[in-house]
Amino acid sequence: MIALLDRHRGLIALSARESERVLKLWSQTIVAPVLASFLFIVVFGLSLGGRIREIGGVQYEIFIVPGLIAMAMAQAAYSNNSSSVFQARADRYINDVLSAPMRPWEVNVGLAVGGVVRALAVGGSLLVLALVVTDVPVREPFVLALAVAILLVLFASLGVVVGVYAETWDQAGFVNNIVILPLSFLGGVFYSVELLPSPWEQASHVNPIFFLINAIRYGFLGTSDVPIGIALAVTAALALACAAWSAAMFRSGRRLKA
Amino acid sequence: MPSALRIRGLTKRYDDGFLAVEDFDLEIEAGSFFGLLGPNGAGKTTIISAVCNLIRVTAGEIDIFGEPHDALAARRIVGLAEQDVNLDRFLDVEETLLYHGGYFGMTRAAARRRAAAMMDVFDLHAKAGVRAPKLSGGMRRRLLLARALMHEPRLVILDEPTAGVDFELRLELWRYIRRLHDAGTTILLTTHYLEEADELCQEIALIRGGRLLARDSVGGLLSAYGVHSLSDAYVQAMGEGVEG
Repeated sequence: MIALLDRHRGLIALSARESERVLKLWSQTIVAPVLASFLFIVVFGLSLGGRIREIGGVQYEIFIVPGLIAMAMAQAAYSNNSSSVFQARADRYINDVLSAPMRPWEVNVGLAVGGVVRALAVGGSLLVLALVVTDVPVREPFVLALAVAILLVLFASLGVVVGVYAETWDQAGFVNNIVILPLSFLGGVFYSVELLPSPWEQASHVNPIFFLINAIRYGFLGTSDVPIGIALAVTAALALACAAWSAAMFRSGRRLKA
Repeated sequence: MPSALRIRGLTKRYDDGFLAVEDFDLEIEAGSFFGLLGPNGAGKTTIISAVCNLIRVTAGEIDIFGEPHDALAARRIVGLAEQDVNLDRFLDVEETLLYHGGYFGMTRAAARRRAAAMMDVFDLHAKAGVRAPKLSGGMRRRLLLARALMHEPRLVILDEPTAGVDFELRLELWRYIRRLHDAGTTILLTTHYLEEADELCQEIALIRGGRLLARDSVGGLLSAYGVHSLSDAYVQAMGEGVEG
């Protein structure tokens, strides 16, 4: 075990640095997204929940919790890594890491860890707050853990990839504002797509975040708009694609090194 | 004993087509104090970046103490202080040194001891808890050097280490770099201050347009160009470099 730690001291240090950045900026990285998502639960769930009583036999304020947690975690993992990697490139302190005796996969994983830590902190905090105001259950803990792991791989990797490709802060934020956020809203965070008329219901099935939200929802509530196997398979395929993209980038050094 | 640095046929063409260095050879003996001089755009930073794995090499071989430059063993024994101040804005002085030690494989305890020693040497103790963006220019330059030396590298590459620092700090840094060399560390220095190279370096290479124009001791360069100062030799070499 000690020999293993010795071999990967660089990875451990880089992971610690990325985690420390998240914790140092806690008001921005954890409190702000938790508060924003919690307000959605309060405003949409508790206020409008009186008018929309149930969806698929589940109380509305409980129905929206899994999707909101998934959306907040996805945004946290993505935003953290895209901004951290972009900043490190822009200020060129990434050179300290690139010149270090670390394997390409260690640099890749180390840079991704911050997004994982931030997403877990945001998701965990949001769950605790949701439990205070709703009775959201965790009916399928194994599926939930698997779906969360897939979410973390997908969005932490995507954040690293965009952080490496981005040339400006606008580009780093673009994917979050123009892709992740709209697709989350359209992916059934606040409603079941079964309620949508044709062709919107079918159109929702080309939205990858729809499958992610349903996998997380199944973990919490035991119900989903699509078979859980399909939901997990689609999101896992996307996660593998993003992780492979990121790994290939670090292995070749393209974009990272001139 | 293998050379500290051996470069063979190094060529770097950037993605935009710019050829920064072509078929460049250089060998630096272990324990020497070597200066790399040339005007802006001569290829000094490209060569250093190639040695430190910060750019993708188009062609050529680079060995550090007999190991390929991209091997982990080679990376572990090279320390780089870059020309631009590239400090992590989220870390304070002590954290900068500790994390660097971690990246380079040091245990936490060893990194703590070494960081304390480096902060003593570079007079950074009073600023241990201050983040890099809040340091003065001179303090940032000291921290860059301390970070480069943190993991006790055998080959230290200093890319214009005294650019923009006041005269007193420059003398202080010269004293420290000399002590480091006296202790057996190989030093590769690039600088625009010819008096700095004259004062410190045992051997100097003059480069321009990614090509080696001349290489010798200061005395050797003066004889070769029939001049009395390094700046005259430099001007003459660069003139010939342009004509060539």
